[in-house]
Amino acid sequence: MSNRDRLRELLLDVFLLDPGQFRFDLTRDEVDSWDSLGTVSLAVGIQEVFGHHLSPQEATRLASVEDIMAALRAKGVDFGDA
Amino acid sequence: MRVVHEGEGSAPSGDLDAAWEDPQTFAYLPRKSGGQGDWVARTLELVPEPLRRDHFALLSSGSTGEPKLVFGSRDRARRLARVLHDAQESEPVRRTVGLLPLTYSYAFVNQWLWAKEHGREFLQTAGFSDPEAVGQVLEHADDAMICLVAGHVPLLERQLAGRVFPGILRVHFAGGRFPQERLSAVSRTFPNAAIFNNYGCVEAMPRLTLRRAEAAESAADVGRPLPGVELRRSPGGALLFRSPYAAAGFCDSAGFHAIGEEDWVPTGDCGHSGEDGRWILEGRAGEVFKRYGVKISPPLVLDSVSSAWSGEGAFYYETDSLGEMGHVLLLAPHPGKEELQAILSVLRREHPRTHWPLRIESAPALPSLPNGKFDAAAASALEGRKIEWSQRI
Repeated sequence: MSNRDRLRELLLDVFLLDPGQFRFDLTRDEVDSWDSLGTVSLAVGIQEVFGHHLSPQEATRLASVEDIMAALRAKGVDFGDA
Repeated sequence: MRVVHEGEGSAPSGDLDAAWEDPQTFAYLPRKSGGQGDWVARTLELVPEPLRRDHFALLSSGSTGEPKLVFGSRDRARRLARVLHDAQESEPVRRTVGLLPLTYSYAFVNQWLWAKEHGREFLQTAGFSDPEAVGQVLEHADDAMICLVAGHVPLLERQLAGRVFPGILRVHFAGGRFPQERLSAVSRTFPNAAIFNNYGCVEAMPRLTLRRAEAAESAADVGRPLPGVELRRSPGGALLFRSPYAAAGFCDSAGFHAIGEEDWVPTGDCGHSGEDGRWILEGRAGEVFKRYGVKISPPLVLDSVSSAWSGEGAFYYETDSLGEMGHVLLLAPHPGKEELQAILSVLRREHPRTHWPLRIESAPALPSLPNGKFDAAAASALEGRKIEWSQRI
């Protein structure tokens, strides 16, 4: 499974999205379950799936799926977009 | 005052008939009273003089597990049995089959006393500890009524699978969440039965409201109060009742407490009034809690889930990694992938994240207590549980 697929599966699971609702350009404002507790769950999920810790400040700054990918790229995760 | 124990074998109700005819108040206890016999004997000494005649007492563990001896007035109980007869349209019913211990106020009034007051036959069984015997009694019981709790439904499906009992005309449920989503299974087993959701508590001795199964779609809807019964919601959300059939008082570890005719008594549940005079339960008072400042009623969450899940479901409590109380939803049997997806969709669509369970787990069957109710303590240590989904918190 590619890292893009792993991220997609994680976000479906954390935010309880239906597969048809998911897009890589989704923003936080479009996901009503992306609240403060959702942010905590997302950070734990990123640790579990990608093995990278996000500080609370990093996690709360994330405002879109693209932000998540950028944060992970900065930690060395390859999304195959080189 | 005297103590009468439930019997066994050919005399399952023990000396109950004789005790009822004797004006002396009696306590009716299970054959094995769980080491509470001495407590009951000491407690009976605390009862004031007016309650020493023409009453009866039943032992309840209540929601706290603390023993409580609840005193009912025989006259009030007789009147309630007559009210129930009309409200439950019981005239065509010729006999009732007991599947629950008679020491439960539900079985005591709805069945034993109802049969006595209306000259109907009462057939007590050993319950689902001997399912074959239950099956045989139900097969031969024409024009009969039974009283069940929701936990009996999976037992019926497993232990009496495929059996049909056309002689049962009335099926009553009480003592917990109404099995709204399992009604098709109940109707298949009892094709000629009218099914009722009864609601009450031992302090009500025991009934407060009633509805036909088909009169609502939500298990939380308990229908309208019986004639003479009043319900109201306290400012904190607790559901209170005032009833002409209520218990006269109770004894607990703090002593004797009288229940006056004008007293509003807690049912132990939270609830609110709905449409057309109906009442909607929000959960046991001890089950409704706040999570991150948001009030949560796990029974109402379960109610939502049941729109996407036809199996069984129950919950138990756990603290999350941040120290906040939450609940774990346990399903049985194991859901398929699409069923799980549908459940998750319902949670997201209808509830804020604070209402979501910490985990969704599944098992081949829900653990149950001897009375058929969900065993939450066993659930948290159940072997073979599968984690279907987790909040990661």
